[in-house]
Formats: sequence, structure tokens, C-alpha cells
Amino acid sequence: MFIVYIFILLLIMTLVSFVVKRSAHKVATVESVIILFLTSIYAYLRFYSYAGGMMSVASFPIDTSIGISFLVGVTPVSLALLFLTTVIMAMAIFVSGRESYDRRFYGLMMATEAGLYGLLISRNFLFFYVFWEAIIIPVFLLIALFGGKNREMASLKFFVYTQLGSVFLLLSILTLFSFYNTSYHHGFTLNMGKLLSTAFINGYITSAQPFWTDFILFGFFFAFLVKMPSFPLHSWLPDAYTSAPYPVTIVLSGAISLMGGYGFYAVIYPIAGTIGFVAAWIILLLGIISLVYFALVAMFQENMKKMISYASAASMGFISISLGVGILSSGYNTYTSITGGVFQILAHGLIMGLIFSSLYIIKLNTGSESTLTVRGLFREMPIVSAFFLGGLMASLGLPGLAGFIAEASIVLSSYSTLGMIIFFVIFGMIITASYHIWAAQKSLNGPYNEFLGSIRDGTRGEIAALSLMFVLILALGIYPAIFYHMIFIYVKGGI
Amino acid sequence: MLSILFSNQLEVMYPEIFLGLVAFGMLLLGRSVRNPAVYTYITMAALFIGLLLLLMFDMGTETLYGGAYLVNNFGLYFAVIMIISSLYVTYSAGATLKSNPESFFSLFLLVNVAMIIAAFSMNLIFIFIAFEGVSIGTYIMSAYGKSRRNLEAAAKYFFTGIIATGFILLGSSYYYLSTGTFNLESVSISKGPMLVALILLFVGFGFKLALVPLHQWAVDAYDGTSNPVSAFLSSGTKILAFLIILRVFIVGFQNFQGDVFDLFVIVSIITMTYGNLAALSEKNIKRMFAYSSIAQAGYLILVVAATSAAEATTFVFTVAIFTAMYYSLVYIFMKGGAFLSVSAVRKESVDIDDMSGIGVVSPAFAISLTILMLSLAGIPPTAGFFAKYYLFLALISSNLWWLAVIGILNSAISVFYYLRVIVVMFRKDGIQRDFDTSARVLAPLVLAAIISLVLSLFIFAYPQVSSLVTGLGVSI
Repeated sequence: MFIVYIFILLLIMTLVSFVVKRSAHKVATVESVIILFLTSIYAYLRFYSYAGGMMSVASFPIDTSIGISFLVGVTPVSLALLFLTTVIMAMAIFVSGRESYDRRFYGLMMATEAGLYGLLISRNFLFFYVFWEAIIIPVFLLIALFGGKNREMASLKFFVYTQLGSVFLLLSILTLFSFYNTSYHHGFTLNMGKLLSTAFINGYITSAQPFWTDFILFGFFFAFLVKMPSFPLHSWLPDAYTSAPYPVTIVLSGAISLMGGYGFYAVIYPIAGTIGFVAAWIILLLGIISLVYFALVAMFQENMKKMISYASAASMGFISISLGVGILSSGYNTYTSITGGVFQILAHGLIMGLIFSSLYIIKLNTGSESTLTVRGLFREMPIVSAFFLGGLMASLGLPGLAGFIAEASIVLSSYSTLGMIIFFVIFGMIITASYHIWAAQKSLNGPYNEFLGSIRDGTRGEIAALSLMFVLILALGIYPAIFYHMIFIYVKGGI
Repeated sequence: MLSILFSNQLEVMYPEIFLGLVAFGMLLLGRSVRNPAVYTYITMAALFIGLLLLLMFDMGTETLYGGAYLVNNFGLYFAVIMIISSLYVTYSAGATLKSNPESFFSLFLLVNVAMIIAAFSMNLIFIFIAFEGVSIGTYIMSAYGKSRRNLEAAAKYFFTGIIATGFILLGSSYYYLSTGTFNLESVSISKGPMLVALILLFVGFGFKLALVPLHQWAVDAYDGTSNPVSAFLSSGTKILAFLIILRVFIVGFQNFQGDVFDLFVIVSIITMTYGNLAALSEKNIKRMFAYSSIAQAGYLILVVAATSAAEATTFVFTVAIFTAMYYSLVYIFMKGGAFLSVSAVRKESVDIDDMSGIGVVSPAFAISLTILMLSLAGIPPTAGFFAKYYLFLALISSNLWWLAVIGILNSAISVFYYLRVIVVMFRKDGIQRDFDTSARVLAPLVLAAIISLVLSLFIFAYPQVSSLVTGLGVSI
């Protein structure tokens, strides 16, 4: 129940953010930190005594005659992502302080957080879908209202793309619901635990009408791959990420991208037994293509914001790889791969939060985000540059930082499935490393670009926030068991 | 003599009689009072009392006039919706009226009388007469105002409407020819003339619902008439046409479900797709709304497709008719509010770009219209989403996955033009500031937005409302 109280508190806070007259930034920061604090305590208490299964199950019936109830439940996967969401939102809201955004901005930010929170705790498909969609609206408005140049087109593209994905999600949900009623139990339910069962799908859908199983899986995959974003469905990404104001970019890369991954592990992985060999390989290959393709594209970007956006998409490729490997292999490899995938979402979110936040401060101080202008920044802004470098190193998978743990467990467990194809994954990782280092070298090291003049380093508050973020990444890199262990127990116990 | 006043036959007609008397009273009053506000308030009061009378005297089930007039809660539900949609536009209509308010409002009340009668009719002749009452009233209402555009729109509406009338009459005759009755009931007879009747009636009623390819009048009429009248045309009368289509094609043709299914599926696909594609490239905001309401009509008739599908079960039927009831209720506020919002721009012909900057001038206006647009696009947590949710649930449950996919792709396309309005409203540079955001324009819009959000709680009412669906008149 505790988690429901936090959620209700968050909803109230969202309203407060919309109506507060003055110092909207301070109010929103305090609110998001309170949510972060409460969620962390909850996560700590739950993880401390975790023994498997679902936690904090609560149900609020609404219309049981057609299966609608607000069913709440938390798994280690969703709890890790809840933690990530709250960290990212607190970070994004805090660093936006230097630009004078009004209460609409912070209200919409809090609404995004509320939507994500609701998505991660609900175990009823109707609410899952409602929150899934409800997140898009504030993000769309944030881009449309506060974005940079080209914001109209970018926000529309973002919305239409994700909407196209989610309508297929809706069709899949309705199909499961309908089959559950007509052929399985003759009852109405939208409970995710009941609908997402391999026994039900294989026994009552695949055996009778194999087409419907493909239909369901297609809908789910399409919706999640758009959100990820994966290779052929990514064209909203560069527009949205670059047109959005920086705080929103932090949210997009850190928190919104987790939706696709969460869908993979919470919706698709439980019914992995229904996914055929070919479909699993398609997902796997899409992941590898995303990794390599986005890395190559990122390599040729002069605009660092755009480059990091592609880097973010590239490392989300690991999620698809992990799911594909998880389906195709078995036993220990599956557990490691899936756990690594979840950990990758967490690590990726934190790392992107750090990189985009420090890049934001660099942009504010220098007025530029291009590697052509920003050069030799170490001389003038040593501390923020150091954190930017730290973020880049974590993103390329340097051992000792969080990104390495995730990538290592995915790569290690995928060898038995991929065989020699793993070369492409390694290739992608090498390109990633090369352009990260390249960007760091150009923007941070070397002679200082004197045209920028004398500039200040980040403020004390910003540096404190960045260092907390970096410490978190470091801690998860050195002692990943904080999250890794519980996720592993959960995955091993069968989702 | 007095006893006939209190007989069953007449008691159910009290609301109609009351509204009719008020309408004629207003015409008399028109000789001495010229202030439109007076008539606005009289009309609102009369509609409100009419609503109460409806709830008092038309509750319960009664079959009158040899099965021609079926009073039950299903019909009552739609009658109430239509009265509410009239109430909703009354205030705005009074504010825009320049001359002869008494005849406008008495016509308006008479249209309402006809709508109530149509909501309870189970007989093609009853339906025809009531429908004509609505049509003739709205012809005149759309001609109100003296500009050329008004007259052109009204003329187009009138001439195409007359043709539709002819089709309805001819179709009804064929129906009588093959069944021997004008009542809508289960009949088992030979196919030939019945199919002719099906096509003719479909053309006639399809005109009113503005289904492609019978839609062109709607775009011109909505564009040309004053905003409150287009709001009424696209909400109240459209819901009436929809209800009649439900009655005629689900009840009257229940032994020809295969043919009904084919017809409705084809037309609804064409209507949805055409409406959405045309709206995509439309710059004029009222024409864009008109095309979007054509597309919405395509979704509405998917209900008929779902109920007449080969694999339709009781559950499908219940959900589909529930969708029809829910969608209609949501629709009057979404569409009515959207059309009324155009009044904010002080221009004859309003482009979408003319809305630019209204988010700066009046955030309340922009937020409300945003909610309406999201609701029209079917995005949660608005009521428009839940309406679509039940619609697609019905389609999937009757195994029509391909139809659901087409519908859903259409709804994804439609997002684009609805959101364009939002984006334009929140523009910050190169904007104009001359908007009419007085309470007259703002109040109905905010009301519609709030209702569009609150109606998502309608899902709580599923058990109660879905028990009404048998009132459509077909045994399931």
C-alpha cells in the first residue's frame, strides 16, 4: 500500500505544481526530491528482505463486470525503474533552475513523473495502457511549448510515432482480453498476471488460431520498439531529442526510453514461451543493427546533443539483444541476460542523466553544444568537464562504472547463442568507445577556444547534483548487487 | 374528455406537447418582445423542463400505437442526450443571433420535439415524419444570418437533404412492399425488394450522417453556417441520424445481417479513411472539423458492423451498443465544443493558423481545446479514449481484427491533425492577440473539456448502462 500512497502524493504534488504561483522551480524540486526519498526508502525496505515474487499487491475494483480494477504490484524490475525515474526527474527538474521556466513547465514535468509512476506500479492492462498514453501528452506539450527550433514538427512526429505504436498495444491487449473471455475462463479480466501466461496463450490461442498469437506479439513488439527506439522505427528520435529543451531531453533519454524496456521485461518476457525462433532472432538482430547503426551515425555528428541522443539509442540496442538472447537460450544464460538487460536500462538512464545534465550546463555557460566551438573546456570549467568525461566513460562501458556491468553480463551470456555474430556486437561497442573518446578529446582537451572568452564553472548546487549522480553510477559499477541481486532472484524465480 | 389527457397514449407525449406549446407561445410573444436574451432563457428553461418531463413520464417500458412507438429507457437515454446537446448550444446560439430570435428558437424547440419523437419511434413512417421535422427545422436554422455564405450553405444542405428524403420514402415503400408492415421488427421474407430497401434507406439516412460518398453537403453546411448551428448540426442531429441507423439496420434488417455487414464495413472503411485524409490537408478549421466529424461517423457505424458480424455474441452485441450509447454522449460535447470554440476568432472564415497564439492570450481556452482535441483523437485519460476502447473491444471480440486494425490506423492518422491545432495554439512568435475570449465563448468550451474528462468515469456505469441495450428492440 505504501507505494500507492506515494503515487497519490505524487498526483497531489502534480496539481500543486500546476497551481503554485511563485518559485515553481523550488517547489517542484522539493516535491521530486521527496518522491525520490520516499521511493528510495521503500526500495531499500523491500530489497532488504526480498525473497521472490511480487510485492505490495493491492487491488481497487472499479468495474469488475468487465475486468477493470486498479491493480497494483511491484517487482524488482519495476522497482529498479521506479528508482531510476525518480532520480532522473529530480535531476532534470533541479538543473533546469537557471532558465526561467514557469509553473506550466514544472506541472508538466511532474505529470510525466506521475504517469511513469503509474505505469510502473499498475498490473492491470487498462491502467497500463492509460498511463502509457498519458505519459506522451505532457512530453508532447513540453516539446511543443518549450522546445527549440523546429519544435512543432518534432513534437508532432514524436506523438504520431508513439501513438501509432500504442494503438497496436491496445489491439493486443483487447485480443488477449477477448480470448480469455471466450475460450479460456469465460470471465473478464485485465489482470496482467493472468493474461500474460504462456499456458493460456499456447493452450488456447496458438493451438486454435496461430494467427492471433502473432497478432498479439506483433502489437506488443511494435509498441515497445517504437518507444525504445529500435532501428527502423527511430526517426522521431533525433528530432525530438534535439528540439526538446535540455531538461526534457534528460527525461526522454533517461525515463521515457525505459518504457520500451519495461514493456519488454514486464509484458513480453512472461510470454517468452510463445515466441518462435524466427521472431526471437528478428528482435536480436534488430538490437545488433540498432547498436551498430546508431553508433555509426553518432560518430559523424558535430552537435554533441545529437551525438549523445544517438548514443543513447545505440545502448538501448542492448535491451533488444538481451531479450532475444533470453528467449533463445536457457538456464543461467537467460537469467544473466535478462538481468543484464534490466540493469542496462537502469545504468543507461543514470548515465544519460549525467551526460545530458553536464552538457546542459556546458551549453548554458558556453552557449554552444557543437564540437567545433566547444574546445579545450578543461581549462575553464574543470569540474563540470570532469563529470561530462565521467559520463562518457560510463557510457562507453568502462569497468568500474555501471554501464560495464550491464553490457558485460549481456555480452557474456549471449556468446552461446550468437556464436561468431557476437563480433558485430563487439564492433558496435568499439565504435561507441571510439566516438565517445573522440568527443571528449575534441571538446574537453586540447587548446581552449579563446572565442568563448572567460566562463564560469557550474554552480555549487549543480556540481553537488552531478557528483551525486556520478557516485550512484560508480556505486552501481563497484557493487552492482544493490539492484542486480534482487533482479536476478526475481528473474530466476520465473516472472 | 379530460380522461384522454391522462391516458397512457398521451402521457408519454407530455414533453413533446409542452415543448411544442412553448414554441408556439414564443412565436406569439415575438410580436412584442425583440430581445434575443429573453428567448434564450425561455428556451433553456423550456428544454430543462422538457428534460424533467421526459424523466418523469417516459421512464419504464411501454409499447403504443400498435408497436410503432416504443417507450423505454434506451430511447429515453438518447432523447436525454439530444436534449442536452440542444441545451448545450442554446446559450451560444442566442448570443450570435441578430434578428428574429423568436422564430429561430421556436424552430429550435420544434426540432427538439421531432428529435424526441424520433428517439422512440419503431416505425418507418413515424421515423420519416420526425426526421423531416428535424430536417426542415435545421434547413431554416442553417439559413439564419444574412450573409451569402449562410444562404449558399443552407441551399446546398436543403437540396441534398430533399434528395435524401426521397430515398428514405422510396426505401420505406420497398420495405413495406416486402414485409407488409412499416414497423421495424423481425421479418422473414424473400430477399429481392428487401435489398433494394436496404440500399435506399442506407442512402437516405447515410446522407444525414454524412457518410462518404454522401458527405459533401456536410462540409459546406458546417463551414457556412454560424458556429452554434454547426455545433448543433454536427452533434444533436448527427446522433439522431445515428440512432435511427441503429434502429433501422439492426432491428429492421435483423434477418439480413450478412448484407448489412458488408455494406457497413465497406462504407465505414471508406468514410473513416476519406474523412481523415481530407482533414489532414485542410487549412480551414471548420472544414477540418467537418471532415473529422465525417471520420467520426465512420467509427460510429462500426458499431453496426460489429453487431451484424457472423461471430457476434451476446457480449459483442452488448459492448457494441454500449459503445454507441457512450460514444454518442461523449461526441456531443467533443464536437459541439470544438465547433463553438471557433467563435474565438473574429473572422468569417477561420484558418487553423488564425488560432496561433491563443495559448498566450487565454491559457484556459487553449487547455480546454487541447483536452477536446485529445478526446477526439482518442487518447487517454479522456472520455474519447474509453469510447474507442469499447468500440475496438467489440470489434476484436467479434473476430474482426482487420477492421480493428484499419480503424486504429485511422485513429493514429487523425492524431496528426488534431494535434496540429494544439501546436498552433501554443505558438509564441508571430502571433495575433485579437481573440474573443469572453465568457460567452469560453464557458461552453471549458464545460465541454471538463465533461470530456469526467465522462471517463462512465466506465463505472457499464453494468447499469449495458442493461439498457435490449431496449434497442432486438432480442439477443
